[in-house]
Amino acid sequence: MPRYAMVIDLQRCVGCGACSIACRSENNVPDGIYWSNKITETSGTFPNVRYHYIPTLCNHCDNAPCVRGCPTRAMHKLDNGITMHDPDKCIGCKYCEFNCPYGVIYFNWRNAHPYWRDETVLIEGCTYSPADMTRKAGGKILPNYNPERDETLAGIRPKGVVEKCTFCDHRIEKGLLPACVEACPADARIFGDISDPSSEVRILLGKFRPFRLREQLGTDPHVFYIRDFNPAHYQPTKGGV
Amino acid sequence: MSRTTVSKGLYGAWLGLLGLIIVAGLVAGIQLFTKGHYLFNTNDVILWSLPLGVYIFLALTSSGLTILASIPLVFEVRKYEPIAKRLVFLAIATLLGAFVSIGLELGNVFHMIYIMLSPNLSSPIWWMGFIYSVELVILIAKLWRLHIGDWHSSLSRLLAIVSLIAAIVAPLMIGSIFGLTESRVTYFGPVMSIYCLLMALLSGTALCLLYHFIHSTVTGSDASEVTRGIYDDFTRIFSFALGTVIVFTLLKIAIESATVVPDFLNYRQYAQILGGIGKFNTEVILGLILPFILMAIPSIRSVPTARLIAAGLTLVGTLAMHMEILLAGQSRPVGPKAEQYPEVIAYAPSGYEWMVLLLSVAVVLLLYTLGERYLKLETAPE
Repeated sequence: MPRYAMVIDLQRCVGCGACSIACRSENNVPDGIYWSNKITETSGTFPNVRYHYIPTLCNHCDNAPCVRGCPTRAMHKLDNGITMHDPDKCIGCKYCEFNCPYGVIYFNWRNAHPYWRDETVLIEGCTYSPADMTRKAGGKILPNYNPERDETLAGIRPKGVVEKCTFCDHRIEKGLLPACVEACPADARIFGDISDPSSEVRILLGKFRPFRLREQLGTDPHVFYIRDFNPAHYQPTKGGV
Repeated sequence: MSRTTVSKGLYGAWLGLLGLIIVAGLVAGIQLFTKGHYLFNTNDVILWSLPLGVYIFLALTSSGLTILASIPLVFEVRKYEPIAKRLVFLAIATLLGAFVSIGLELGNVFHMIYIMLSPNLSSPIWWMGFIYSVELVILIAKLWRLHIGDWHSSLSRLLAIVSLIAAIVAPLMIGSIFGLTESRVTYFGPVMSIYCLLMALLSGTALCLLYHFIHSTVTGSDASEVTRGIYDDFTRIFSFALGTVIVFTLLKIAIESATVVPDFLNYRQYAQILGGIGKFNTEVILGLILPFILMAIPSIRSVPTARLIAAGLTLVGTLAMHMEILLAGQSRPVGPKAEQYPEVIAYAPSGYEWMVLLLSVAVVLLLYTLGERYLKLETAPE
């Protein structure tokens, strides 16, 4: 059985956000919820200033605090290492979200996509309402609804339960890469089986010294970061007193 | 107009008021489950708010009452038997109020069946739910045994022992829900469990004293010498409970002040959501230290009104302390959520959250009222 992991090459990542857009489209993610997200940080003061960008997603930890704490095993591990969620078992206690050290789990506070449920037309007899638009487009709640998401998880998660990245498990089952990996124009995301010594992820992890987020907590995340983008240079110096 | 007529009128008005609050609370509850929990002033940073604080407060208070009831029922201190049945009943009613609050806090209470069908034994929430459910069933069975006059049979004692164990373990589980969250170190690890147990004893004793005062005032019943003796003793237990929570709180403040662990440095910015004087939060001063001072002075301690004030302040103070701890540990966004939310999130309960509080309290008060009327709570063995 493979054990899936992702390597994110920060030198290749251009911070375009295509991963997040692809994720949103693939998984019908509602407004305000981010399965694929980022941590941005500015260090230093002008003119010696740097901008840091770290893409984030569920780390699919081996020792996942969200899985350990879930009272109904709605949050659970698949054999391939993916941390999966079953909305049918979720009681909406939000303990997984509370327990996640990475801030990648979100709660559905309301019915998803309220805008597209709206039946109000802007100009009577002239324009469609958002809900009309969805119907005309043949979508389900969303005009651009992706029905493939339904294959392993509710296509649109109901209110009162949590949701998060699943490494696009429905695509992996069909031998496809996660949508964020596929969409990355810079090939900054490398996905594969970490238990296979010849996989690209294993090769990269051997070649570069990776780091993981909040590694000291012992959660054993399976999203690894390698390298860093830094075009700056400086004159060799020994400093001074 | 006779006194009886006035009493009946007041009783009806009281029931009517509670009924109104319960109906309004149920309407709010229906809206929560049809529209969603965005009606709370919560978000993906402050996930748990007033309804959860009310749950913790009521559940711990119920545990405290059960522990008090165990003094006569498990440890066989016979002189406390006259109030044992009432304590068991109060524990049941208070726990039911807690369940109302948590039920309305959960996003999908209709999936609760999976607590039984798909249990996760590594989850402190599962254990908390399981133990409190067991405790409720056992307490109801115990009340029934007491009601039919079975005080000392093996079954009756077994029920009392199991309910005591549940009442001790359940607060430890509530504490571990927070304490096991390794990513939020300000919740203080295993110490949080001990804190919850102490708070259970404190709020349980405070409620017992407050209830006695209000009950004897409303019914106009003069307490017997025996009953007065019991409540004098319970006032001492109350003082000890206050003292232990103060020691714990001082220790907590000292650690928070001395450490340079970054999480604690951040935590200090919003550790006084309800205001404070120096290092002391308002609720600590008014809900712990002031009642302790009142109860430490013998001439004041013996005055019923002083006990009422001390117990009342303590109950409000413990709820506020639970809220303070709950919110302070959640005020900063975790990881990428800092991209969406400000560095520190302010929180004030919404009308719906206040309705959950009112509904839970109204259910508890209604049960107290009906229990007093129909269950002969002052009975004791011959």
